[in-house]
Amino acid sequence: MILKYSLQRLLMIIPVSLAISVVIFLIVHLLPGDPIDNLIRVGSSPEDRIALSAKYGLDRSLIAQYFLWIGQVMTGDFGQAIVLRRPVADLIAQNLPYSLQLGGLAFLFSSIVGIILGIVAWASRNTWGEQLVKGFILLGSTVPGFWLALLMILLFAVNLGWFPVSGARDWTALVLPVLTIGFGGIALVARVTRVALLEVGKQDFITLLHAKGLSRTAILFRHLIPHALLPVVTILALRIGWILGGAVTVEFVFGRSGLGSLLIRALGQRDYPVVQGSLLMLALAVMIGTLIGDIAQAAMDPRIREATK
Amino acid sequence: MTSAILNRLSGFAALRAFSSAIGMIAGGFLILLLLVAFFAPWITPFDVATQNLANANAAPGWPHIMGTDEFGRDVFSRVVYGARTSLSVSATAIGISVSVGMLLGAAAGYFGGMFERIVMTVVDLTWSFPDILIALIFVAIIGPGLTSTTFAIAIAYLAQFTRLTRAQIVRLKNETFVEATINLGATPAHVVLRHLLPNALAPVIVVGMLAVGDGIVLEATLGFFGLGAQPPTPSWGAMMSSGTAQLFIAPWVIIYPGVAVAITVIAVNLFGDELVRALDIRDRVRS
Amino acid sequence: MRHLKKLRLLSSSALLSASIVTMGFSSIAMAGKATVALPSGELGATSYDPIRSSKLNTATSLIYDRLVEQDADQSFHPHLATSWTESADGMSWTFKLRDGVKFHDGEVFNADTIVSWIPDFKDTENAFLVAAIKSVEVIDPLTVKFVMERPEPNLLYNLASTFMGVPGQKSYDSLGEEYGVTTAIGTGPFKLTSFEIGLETVVTRNDDYAWASDLSSNQGAAHLESVTFREIPDQSTAFLELKTGGIDLLLGVPTDFLSILKAEKNVGVITMAGTGISYMPINTTSAPFDDIKVRQATALAVNQKSILENVYKGVGSEANHFLIDTLPAGDVKKELLVSFDSAKANGLLDKAGWAMGDGGVRMKDGVPLQVKLFTQNDSDLKRLTQVVQAQLKDVGMDAVITVFDSSTIRDEYKKNAHQLAVRSYDWNNADILEWFFSGTRVGYPNVSMWTDEKSEMLKDTAMTKSTTSAERVANFKAYHEHILSSHLFVPLYQPAQNIAFNKDTVTVPEKVRGPRFRSQTFVDIDVVK
Repeated sequence: MILKYSLQRLLMIIPVSLAISVVIFLIVHLLPGDPIDNLIRVGSSPEDRIALSAKYGLDRSLIAQYFLWIGQVMTGDFGQAIVLRRPVADLIAQNLPYSLQLGGLAFLFSSIVGIILGIVAWASRNTWGEQLVKGFILLGSTVPGFWLALLMILLFAVNLGWFPVSGARDWTALVLPVLTIGFGGIALVARVTRVALLEVGKQDFITLLHAKGLSRTAILFRHLIPHALLPVVTILALRIGWILGGAVTVEFVFGRSGLGSLLIRALGQRDYPVVQGSLLMLALAVMIGTLIGDIAQAAMDPRIREATK
Repeated sequence: MTSAILNRLSGFAALRAFSSAIGMIAGGFLILLLLVAFFAPWITPFDVATQNLANANAAPGWPHIMGTDEFGRDVFSRVVYGARTSLSVSATAIGISVSVGMLLGAAAGYFGGMFERIVMTVVDLTWSFPDILIALIFVAIIGPGLTSTTFAIAIAYLAQFTRLTRAQIVRLKNETFVEATINLGATPAHVVLRHLLPNALAPVIVVGMLAVGDGIVLEATLGFFGLGAQPPTPSWGAMMSSGTAQLFIAPWVIIYPGVAVAITVIAVNLFGDELVRALDIRDRVRS
Repeated sequence: MRHLKKLRLLSSSALLSASIVTMGFSSIAMAGKATVALPSGELGATSYDPIRSSKLNTATSLIYDRLVEQDADQSFHPHLATSWTESADGMSWTFKLRDGVKFHDGEVFNADTIVSWIPDFKDTENAFLVAAIKSVEVIDPLTVKFVMERPEPNLLYNLASTFMGVPGQKSYDSLGEEYGVTTAIGTGPFKLTSFEIGLETVVTRNDDYAWASDLSSNQGAAHLESVTFREIPDQSTAFLELKTGGIDLLLGVPTDFLSILKAEKNVGVITMAGTGISYMPINTTSAPFDDIKVRQATALAVNQKSILENVYKGVGSEANHFLIDTLPAGDVKKELLVSFDSAKANGLLDKAGWAMGDGGVRMKDGVPLQVKLFTQNDSDLKRLTQVVQAQLKDVGMDAVITVFDSSTIRDEYKKNAHQLAVRSYDWNNADILEWFFSGTRVGYPNVSMWTDEKSEMLKDTAMTKSTTSAERVANFKAYHEHILSSHLFVPLYQPAQNIAFNKDTVTVPEKVRGPRFRSQTFVDIDVVK
């Protein structure tokens, strides 16, 4: 049952990816402007421009260009960047570790802190402390990322001198960016945790356990939290796109590389192969993340298991 | 009949959100903000676009109670008009998102099957993609400005409303009164519009409010990259962005709009939570 | 016997420790590292291959040397070429090469290097740099002759460009497309040690360097042991890095931060003449700008002095024509220079039939004088645009601003959707006139959409029919003057180049010998001891 469901979903990824690749290709090529204008320099002639356009295959029909690209992709070759001049795969491979580091650690931070705060918020429901906790949870997500980043730099790097202002030299340079992104993600995790706990808390088997005399703490840790974690995990699995590409603002302010920055730079220069390749990769990662999340949910939720029988 | 009663009850229940202390403060602030934005032309002492280069970067005092920016424009007036921009962009965007999302979600939930699968996959993709990337791509296509910002925010939150509505529809679809109505000869459209949607309305509205808060933050971030409201239209995000360069000479240019954003978003979120409690729909609200 | 051994042991160990101590002292003196932040226009280079790249940065100029170097006054100085002569008809150039120059991998630099190097440009994006050279001949191991296709008075300028830094031919030929990614072999004062795209580049001293140009005071190996070039896109962050000592040198300080930097006790600021201008092209094919009176009025409505004082706090200088002031072709007839004249501007608009209406906007046949003002998404340009908008309003022209990103706006230009635009360029050669006003480039880069017989003729003469450098200057001056009298654009501002450095950690020469802050200056930089 689970296996069949998973296989079904896995097979669906292929046609969906192809459809997405067409959408990505169209969006990229329908953008106004083109990469050649970002390549030509003062002193070159108008004929040079035409020759360049032909060299990169931009004078052929859109359909021809698409099939050329997708054919390459299917053999694992993401092509050569036009303006950035390196194999797209190289560029992505260079930036990926930075994104994973930053995104992954921030994700961990917001998950852990978010879950804890979510539990605290649920535990303090209907008490005066609840508003305090909720306000605290909200702090990180009410200010725009660049504002928080600047504040962090001014306070911790310039005034206190605990961490470097920017860069990616060593682990100390990771702390402030991770905190900046992490703070923003706490609210979502906390809210999901709190709502999940509320839902689970209302269910019959919990009342039964109460009646049987199990202590509140035991119920919390052995039954409520494990059940509440499921929706949290599924939601988090869906956020893989954010881990990989969502740190653009923070990367900009802190002077780090990452997939988001690569994508935005390439987008600004209309470097078609890079934008197409990164978007496609992001979409694939997102679909796989969604799949994992859905499988986890299906494994636990009897209703869905029923639907797939 | 049932739906009409439910609607009326929701209306009353919503007011209960103001009964708690937090509800009063947060809700009160929001109403004040709306009034300020609405009456902007009457309460602002200066024109937002008039430049006075000789008086650039003046510290807060009289008559510029929040100081002036790099062009000598009054910061207070720009913050007030910025409220208009930020709120209207956010509200419009979420409005579009809610309408389209509810329609998609209702259709997906009601018809189910392959249609539902396709809609949900596409919609999930938009949610898993970082909203800043979607916004930047949009801007690259349409160009910077409030239209792009609005559409970008709308797409970024589409998934939430679609999913919410669909969940409600799926839950209610299986309840007996729906079967009964269909047996009596009602068309799918009738069922969806008069029975299913009104139930889904309440949680969607609440989440919509919370999303307006997020929308303001996204507009500010886009403004940071210079892609939001275009000069000389004031927006909190754009003010913070151009203010960063003056951070050390004229910090008030970036502080006041930043505080405005923070307070507004906090108020929206706190009031939204009170609304959830008042409507007692915790179990139906899942961001 | 034992005493002798002990003595010997003692003395040898004394000697050993003494030498260790002295070695220690000298290595402290030589351990000079500096961290430099690249200017925002040089971020994102992906390769150190000067022949194939379209984007290079300052670090490239440290890895490679060029045949000639330019000084700040645009004059040419010998470097890898010790002297040169041009034939009277301009159809050949003879260069004498420096002796004793070696590449970082030991390969010897001589005439054969040049013969192998010039053809490397074929079929690359930079081929135009050597397009005028037909062939290269070896006269003797240290003398080469360029046989030209046509006279090219601009040859020295191209040879001084960073794109014509000479790469080691053995390495270049063997690595092919991979060259410049992890390996880059030149003859420069620094060698490429590591390169992380978008993050940083580390170069270390070439200890064998003994052939600096006369633009450097230090004629031997560089003082600095290594230089780390960092890419920091956010200007506030770069400023904070300098303030906290994270970086020692900040290339390209935005004018906003200048006053605060100057106030810091440990920060030194160097201001050099700029290499470009900000200007506003006028679309000559779009009414009302097809009327030259309206164009001239627009030009006279802009107050360059006010822009300089209020927007840039007096840093930089006014721009009154299309070229930077240090170029001789910019020395045009006084009456053609563009500067603020509100009365004349208003008068011209009246004469053109645009009468001032209520609300401060001029009208003609019931149509208001409303125009489209485009600009790019850059904070500096946006600020300039807003000021220009206000100045245009003062003469009754209502300009509506639209901001685009840099790739989209070129599309808009090509679609002829614009009327006025605020933009800037960075180039220190008169041929920028051809680039922006040639009839063969209408749309983009010719945003003025201009073409007429006289311009084309003057352009062709300047670009291809000049035989000597003096002739070239005169021909470009004539072309420049015709452009000015046709009122195709409005000059706005001439930025200066500002470099800030930490006085406590590095010493920097007071006078920068070059149009830009490049390798000749880096050789002279030292850490504070």
